[in-house]
Amino acid sequence: MNDFSELENELRKLRPARPSPVLFQRIGEALENYRAGASPAGQPGRLLYTWWSLGFGLAAAAILVVFAVINFQSTHERREAIAASSAPQPETRTLPRGMEQSTSPGRFVSAGGAHVVYNARDEGLHFANGSERPVRRVRYQTEQTWRWRNPETGASLRVSYPSEEIMLIPVSGQ
Amino acid sequence: MEPIASHENWKNCFSEVAPGLLLFARQWVHSAADAEDVVQEAFVKFWRRNHNIDNRALLYSAVRSIALDFVRRDIRRARRETTVFSEVEPAIEPHFELEDDTQSALAAAVDCLPCDQREVLVLKIWNDLTFSEIAGTLGISQNTAASRYRYALSNLKKSLQPQ
Repeated sequence: MNDFSELENELRKLRPARPSPVLFQRIGEALENYRAGASPAGQPGRLLYTWWSLGFGLAAAAILVVFAVINFQSTHERREAIAASSAPQPETRTLPRGMEQSTSPGRFVSAGGAHVVYNARDEGLHFANGSERPVRRVRYQTEQTWRWRNPETGASLRVSYPSEEIMLIPVSGQ
Repeated sequence: MEPIASHENWKNCFSEVAPGLLLFARQWVHSAADAEDVVQEAFVKFWRRNHNIDNRALLYSAVRSIALDFVRRDIRRARRETTVFSEVEPAIEPHFELEDDTQSALAAAVDCLPCDQREVLVLKIWNDLTFSEIAGTLGISQNTAASRYRYALSNLKKSLQPQ
């Protein structure tokens, strides 16, 4: 086939140096250790290391989730407290008792109210109950509005009702 | 039936390939003891993963890779493979069991070959790898492997010719 066949034959006659008998013994021991699972660099060791890593990772993730839930709950409670404390105080104090009971106390917080006088009519001087001193009677027509808000869902509730007040103002003689 | 590596017949297989493997490892490491360390690590790794023993290219690739890592650790520099080749000093211990002066001259001529040609020659002559297997082992094409082999033989022939 080629011009090198004779040279190739000569090369093949060269015999490489043989390995020492110790090498067989060392390889046998290494394979035996591997079979016994004592090889620190073997696959079982790597597998064990992988499972440990996975376990630690899952534990860390679980701890993070627990902290996140606790933090979310405390933030939510703080928001409710802030919403409740930031509501207008006069309106809260003047909230009718029956109205507080009619709403969901744990969910809705007062968000203020309004008292609007949309009509005032002077009804002239009167003598009330046979009194000798005259009084001026003024009739006020108003509308009162109360609002509640659920900070968790953002829902709001508003109640409005009309009212009429009559004020008797004493008139002093001049 | 494919001759899959098992823990029962490793001695037979290793006895057949050990001299060639050691010679192959000696391309990079200086001493026979270092070459045995390289071969041991490569063979144990190959064997315990139950590779097909017919897949010799994988075994020789493991030897080559471990030997190059060994050299890099030894010279404490991680350079490119070609650089590593050029920095390997000539081996002192004999690679062959020499019988006469003719063989000594031939062995000396083999040692003087360029590294890329010598490793192809070692794989082809003393390990009986095909050009396809050599290409797989060295990560080169079959044509490159064949041409390096021819260059090696040509250079040997030139160096052995009387002046």
